[in-house]
Amino acid sequence: MEDNKVIKRSEKYMNPYLAGVFLGLVLLSAYFISGRGLGASGAIKSTTVSLVKTIAPAHAEKAPYYKEYLETHPGNPLNSWLVYQILGVIVGGFLSGALAGRLKFKVEHSPNITSKKRLILALAGGILFGLGAQFGRGCTSGSALCGMAVLSLGGIMSMMAIFGTGFGLAYFFRKFWVNI
Amino acid sequence: MKPRILLAIFVIPLGLIIAAVPENKTHAFKLSAEQLLEETNAGIQYYSPEEIADLIIKKDPSIQLIDVRNVDEYSKFSLPGAINIPLTTILEEDWEGYLNQDVKINVFYSNGTLNSDKAWMITRQLGYENNYVLMGGLNYWVETIMNPESPSSTSSDEEFAKYDFRKGAGMALGGGAVISNEKKAGTAPIIPALKSKSKKKRVQGGC
Amino acid sequence: MGPLIAYDLITGSTNLLFAFLIGIGFGFVLESAGFSSSRKLVGVFYGYDTVVLKVFFTAGITGMLGLLFFSLFGWIDLDLIYINPTFLYSTLFGGVLMGAGFIIGGFCPGTSICAASIGKIDAIFFVLGIYIGVNIFNEIYPLVEGFYKAKFLGSPKLSDFLGISDGIMALVMIAMAIFAFWLGEIFEKKKKPVIY
Repeated sequence: MEDNKVIKRSEKYMNPYLAGVFLGLVLLSAYFISGRGLGASGAIKSTTVSLVKTIAPAHAEKAPYYKEYLETHPGNPLNSWLVYQILGVIVGGFLSGALAGRLKFKVEHSPNITSKKRLILALAGGILFGLGAQFGRGCTSGSALCGMAVLSLGGIMSMMAIFGTGFGLAYFFRKFWVNI
Repeated sequence: MKPRILLAIFVIPLGLIIAAVPENKTHAFKLSAEQLLEETNAGIQYYSPEEIADLIIKKDPSIQLIDVRNVDEYSKFSLPGAINIPLTTILEEDWEGYLNQDVKINVFYSNGTLNSDKAWMITRQLGYENNYVLMGGLNYWVETIMNPESPSSTSSDEEFAKYDFRKGAGMALGGGAVISNEKKAGTAPIIPALKSKSKKKRVQGGC
Repeated sequence: MGPLIAYDLITGSTNLLFAFLIGIGFGFVLESAGFSSSRKLVGVFYGYDTVVLKVFFTAGITGMLGLLFFSLFGWIDLDLIYINPTFLYSTLFGGVLMGAGFIIGGFCPGTSICAASIGKIDAIFFVLGIYIGVNIFNEIYPLVEGFYKAKFLGSPKLSDFLGISDGIMALVMIAMAIFAFWLGEIFEKKKKPVIY
């Protein structure tokens, strides 16, 4: 009975290898058209910079990071490739979710932890990821996935660091995810 | 069949093919040999000494003379405003900003045309534009601009006009056209601060 | 011919339009593959669901093979595409932080945005967290600038670094990926399926 349920659920998702090929083709078209790979954290950075520029322009002019960013990225930070691409991700994700009937407000978590705990963990993970993506000059998509496609040393290094750390720490956080 | 096996059946042969073929080192969409031959035959790369002399006298800012001879020869004499990029070092990255740009007209010169033509061919093959060659090189320059031969009395008016221009230009450049850099020791040739403005730049990306 | 933007075959605004379309494809594939579920994503670290590994590596090798073949046919100039720069310490340190963020938060930036778009509240919190993290970095930037820019190695390719051709490198990557898929499927079979 339960086994059946599992199969049914997993069937709703696309075969991972097929999805991988599609994702590879999307990545290839990004390189062919725009000469650059996919990304996500960069868009968040752009919006952050734009936000700071709007609400605290004096700070944006003074703080070294914003100064450097605005010098190297002329024009409106929101008018960037990655921002448009992320808007597309939101639309694309929504479309796929709508077609598969997965649109639903919910907090997904393991039965071992409460929703509240899950939200705190998500926030903490996000903070770490945000910091890490800045140091690593790109996130899993911008640095690791694209890095693999173009055989970039830095990208492949960050991929190994991400997954290596993930596997290394998995044991310590197992209570948050699986029944032991 | 398992999707994993199916995927492997597709990608492994593709991987083998890509590993077996030699890498595509030639840059696509740059000149083919035929195009280069055509351009060379047409001689579109040449600027005549008169044109150059005219531009030098007018102090035209759009022109950049580039001496492709070695440093010794360059320091003995050079044309006004010329910078020195010895042919042997032409592929060094430092020069890319000068050679691959769309602001100035670069004119290569050497003693004859052989080395400047080589420089032109190399840069053209790299896909750079705005590079030209001083026709006849310095030898012809000295012959025509510095010591123009007076036409015989039977020559056409055109010849005389040309002679007058050459003589005028030679005088305007006052023998200083061939500047002795030794005289003005210490004054480095003026190198314009050109930013690397390559037309086809690597796309900026990343998160 | 390619990249189209570098050859001025499309304008900057068209490029942004394509960015949006490419984003739709990106988001659609991520969601269809199940990347909008954090429990599915972290499955890779516990061995019960290796969809991340499969999608990620398949996408990587598809993109890699595509670029190499396009270059072979002269359709794209690989010298003009963006290659991630390598700043040794910063890249490694960032990777470690991201790995920790992944296992604690259950998402990465792309998947969290995708999950947020179908209403996952935890994903929205994760995105908020990224904002905070990016802001923290921007504020402490003067303190870490030295570290951030240390050991700059340029934008080397792994193949150049190892002194082999791109094609052989690609073949090695493919072999590694297929091997990883095989391992992943063995683990999946061993582990009890997790319902989520």
